[in-house]
Amino acid sequence: MDIAVLVKQSLDVQELRVDQDTGKIYIEDAPTKAGDIELNATEEAVRLKEKLGGKAIAIMLSTGGASGKRQKEAREALTRVLAMGLDGAVLIMGEGAEKGDTYVIAKALAEEIRDKFGLVLAAEGSEDNFSGLLPARLAAELGWPYVAYATAIEVEGDHVKVTRSLEDFEEVVRVKFPAVISVTQEINKPRVPKLVEIVKAKKKPLDQKDFSPPVEPKLTIRELKVPKVERKQIVIEGDVEEAAEKLIQALKEEGVL
Amino acid sequence: MKVLAFSHSMDLALELVSAGRELGDVSLLVTSDQEGRINEVKGAKEVLLCKGLDSGDQEGLVELISGLASDYEVVLLASDRRGRELVGQVAHRLGASSAVDVSSLSVEDGKLVVERMTFGGKAIAVEEMSLPAVISVQKGKFKPPEEGEPSVREVSAPSIERRVEVIERKEKPKVGVPLDKAEIVVAVGRGFRKKEDLKLAYELADVLGGVVGATRPVAADLKWMEEEVWIGISGVRIAPKLLIVVGASGQQQFAAGIMDSKVVVAVNTDSKAPIFEQADYGVVMDLYEFLPVLTKKLKEIKGG
Ligand SMILES: Cc1cc2nc3c(=O)[nH]c(=O)nc-3n(C[C@H](O)[C@H](O)[C@H](O)COP(=O)(O)OP(=O)(O)OC[C@H]3O[C@@H](n4cnc5c(N)ncnc54)[C@H](O)[C@@H]3O)c2cc1C
Ligand SMILES: Nc1ncnc2c1ncn2[C@@H]1O[C@H](COP(=O)(O)O)[C@@H](O)[C@H]1O
Repeated sequence: MDIAVLVKQSLDVQELRVDQDTGKIYIEDAPTKAGDIELNATEEAVRLKEKLGGKAIAIMLSTGGASGKRQKEAREALTRVLAMGLDGAVLIMGEGAEKGDTYVIAKALAEEIRDKFGLVLAAEGSEDNFSGLLPARLAAELGWPYVAYATAIEVEGDHVKVTRSLEDFEEVVRVKFPAVISVTQEINKPRVPKLVEIVKAKKKPLDQKDFSPPVEPKLTIRELKVPKVERKQIVIEGDVEEAAEKLIQALKEEGVL
Repeated sequence: MKVLAFSHSMDLALELVSAGRELGDVSLLVTSDQEGRINEVKGAKEVLLCKGLDSGDQEGLVELISGLASDYEVVLLASDRRGRELVGQVAHRLGASSAVDVSSLSVEDGKLVVERMTFGGKAIAVEEMSLPAVISVQKGKFKPPEEGEPSVREVSAPSIERRVEVIERKEKPKVGVPLDKAEIVVAVGRGFRKKEDLKLAYELADVLGGVVGATRPVAADLKWMEEEVWIGISGVRIAPKLLIVVGASGQQQFAAGIMDSKVVVAVNTDSKAPIFEQADYGVVMDLYEFLPVLTKKLKEIKGG
């Protein structure tokens, strides 16, 4: 049974520059990468495939536009997860994909997954959007059960036992294949590939396909605004005693003590 | 406009009623385990009581809500984990648009217009959604209505084959004051070397009358604290009047959770840590040296 790992080309939000005064968001300048939690999903897939047999394949539908820079980054992100031990990758890319909402993307990804895989692993939320909508929609599109927020996955014959972390309790569920599961950052420690593995990963199959929208989107982004957060950014100088005194004085003046 | 609402948490369900009233008449779905709290529901047009379904049954809920939803233009769910798990599934079943963690909502020209945080908190997206729409509403944004008795109508449970079987459920320990309601918060990060050292943070919080929160790795990875106290985009968003962040780097996903704080103080040995850009007052020092002195001085003024 083969496993599909969903890897998104996300904006690196840490590196994304925004200008609070002009409200400009420098999206084109920011680098993109595979999300951190998708590395956890990759790690889990590599571990599970030893028990399930079969292959583990990364699937990415790039929504970053089809520029040369974004294409290069998408392939680098996939090489990164291939180096962790995946067997191959599929990159779907093309004009119009950037307008795709989760409805469109889920439909497009389902075409790539249906009849080919028995398990889909995703992250609980993507690095730049953190909604968790995509895996849920994909499960509904495929007609497969969906279990989110996995902190442990154990294979037991024709089903898996998933431990999941919810706000007020922890739950253990049993679910039959095929299934869609999203994982949290706590499920494992992703391995860091060695240089030789990265070199080898460049030779693994990376199948690039053209995107054509299967349906019209249901949602459009009208505007992106920069939230105004004004911080004073005052550095308190002095030795420990002085710094503590100065801080207390400042907090008194702020009226919060 | 007709709105269908549901949350596993009755407290969040009451907030959803309030959010839904901005759009129209609200029907609140109540499951068997929630029946005892029906009389707390105010401001909804009606309560749809499903006596045959427990809120622990996610597959049953997807089926039930998707079935009921054909009579409604908007479905509102909560932004807790189980609520968000439902949004995409229900939306897709209905061929509807979807969004999570929405902080405001209105109708313009037959479209639902919502605002939500994106890019790890660096931007707010204003989104136009076609109807029907399924959304989850940010926690704590809407105050439960106080008046208006709903009528009660019973609905029957769906009969489907369940593919997910819950075999165990363990309650997590409850924390004292919820972080999102606290006036003063001390937030700890991985700069603390071991669990016992968190004592330094608890002592500081005590003298200030505040509570202690954490970054995700401290709560979820190291498990030094309950998971309810992690702050950030995947945890709680806080809005205290004073926040002291100690030994946390201030990565964007954490920073997204502290934006509404009034005054932010950061203590970190690394003067380049991003947390200093998120702070009003920065102290570039070892927490092990600074916290004991700060706590002692605060005790002196608070004590006498
Ligand atoms: C999709 C996604 C969602 C996420 N959601 C969240 C979330 O909701 N909340 C969250 O917190 N994280 C979240 N994360 C993780 C986040 O990216 C960071 O990894 C995390 O916030 C870092 O935690 P930290 O600051 O405790 O640790 P570190 O980044 O390791 O920082 C430790 C800091 O302590 C300082 N330090 C060390 N020793 C001392 C000392 N003696 N005195 C003073 N300072 C010291 C160091 O200089 C450093 O800055 C998420 C990540 C992803 C990908
Ligand atoms: N365009 C995409 N291509 C591949 N996987 C995706 C894509 N979008 C989302 N995913 C997967 O779904 C997860 C949750 O994404 P999101 O719904 O955006 O929070 C991501 O972390 C990925 O695992």
